[in-house]
Amino acid sequence: MSTFDSKHAAGLHRHIHSHLPSDAALRVKALESLAVEKGLIAPETIDAWVEAYSDHIGPMRGAKVVARSWVDPAFRARLLENATEAIKEFGFEGNATGHLKAVENTATAHNMVVCTLCSCYPFSILGMSPAWYKSAAYRARAVREPRAVLAEFGVDLPEDVALRVWDSTAELRYLVLPQRPAGTEGWDEDRLAAIVTRNSMIGTERVLATGGT
Amino acid sequence: MDGIHDLGGKQGFGPVPVAEGDAPFAQDWERRMWALSREGICPTMTLDWFRHGVELMVPGDYLTFSYFQKWATNFLMLMVDAGQITLQDLERGYLLEPAKPARAKAVEEILEQVRRACTDFSVPEDAPPRFAIGAAVRTLRQIDHPHTRLPAYARGVQGRVIGHHGAHLLPDDGAHGRHVGQHLYTVAFTAPDLWGAAANPRDDVTLDLWESYLVPA
Repeated sequence: MSTFDSKHAAGLHRHIHSHLPSDAALRVKALESLAVEKGLIAPETIDAWVEAYSDHIGPMRGAKVVARSWVDPAFRARLLENATEAIKEFGFEGNATGHLKAVENTATAHNMVVCTLCSCYPFSILGMSPAWYKSAAYRARAVREPRAVLAEFGVDLPEDVALRVWDSTAELRYLVLPQRPAGTEGWDEDRLAAIVTRNSMIGTERVLATGGT
Repeated sequence: MDGIHDLGGKQGFGPVPVAEGDAPFAQDWERRMWALSREGICPTMTLDWFRHGVELMVPGDYLTFSYFQKWATNFLMLMVDAGQITLQDLERGYLLEPAKPARAKAVEEILEQVRRACTDFSVPEDAPPRFAIGAAVRTLRQIDHPHTRLPAYARGVQGRVIGHHGAHLLPDDGAHGRHVGQHLYTVAFTAPDLWGAAANPRDDVTLDLWESYLVPA
């Protein structure tokens, strides 16, 4: 049974810090060995999870949701009203999307998502988060100087476009709906989904490229 | 707690590692750590006891370890804390008496498990919400609690309620194994209110905050 005792936990951390090699691969290997020997997980199950999040779950899911929101106004309305329910139409519900909110970019508004306290992320529709999202620099700076952060991603946000940064402090997760780019009239959902990038759904990209598709 | 994890607004970190940090899984051990974390290897923990455990890491390690290196370290701590393994097991690296192996799962079963993991943290609450949409509120200046989701940069600041989500489990209690519901709001703070007059007045930051973090402005 977990003790839920902060001082006890901090003491254990200090012990681990002093007595165990800090190498990341070694620590994961130790954890895997002990968990397998405890009968908590089978090595094959670990492989299956890796396959699930490598081949089946990733930003291509979010891209399909965004593409449909561009071509189907009724779906877009459902998505903005209750994204948790709307993504069930694709079977994309799951880890960390039990309370999901979609936020839309417009000509005069841009949205960007961060988790300053840890690195909360809507895993079941965007897959694993990129390393930059979990970096101290992004977590520290996204709320304080988001326009400077956007510039580092190559986004020059006009002064008169309002920027809203969503700091995911609770169990709500956010999906940014980028604007549909010009020149994509008549495209079907699959073709549209192919131009939706992961960063655009976090809000660190604004104008989607249509070339070469 | 006012720990090293509370990074919002801290200065001195330099550029965001945009290009070099693009791959979700740079290393194989990162994939395996993610997989381990999904299978409930510490069944008695709560989400916020996990988060609080990360916050309680040695501060220097917190800043220098990569994300999944922190998770691995924290799970080792959590399993010792819960009495599943001992510090001696940890230093030895294996168990003297292994348990019966777990059943292997195939990817189809995992994908179904992912769908079933779609849980939210809302709970029934009879008490009416204290704040209405549009209400002016101020966040607490002081938080004297081991675990909170009110970051330091947004304390003692006036904001406006833009969303109400019913009652959700309060992390401050969840970190200690207690399941207590409380009204949850989305509150918007203008950039100048957070960062001073030089900030763009069109910009704002929203946080999802529980009722006990807020007072009427």
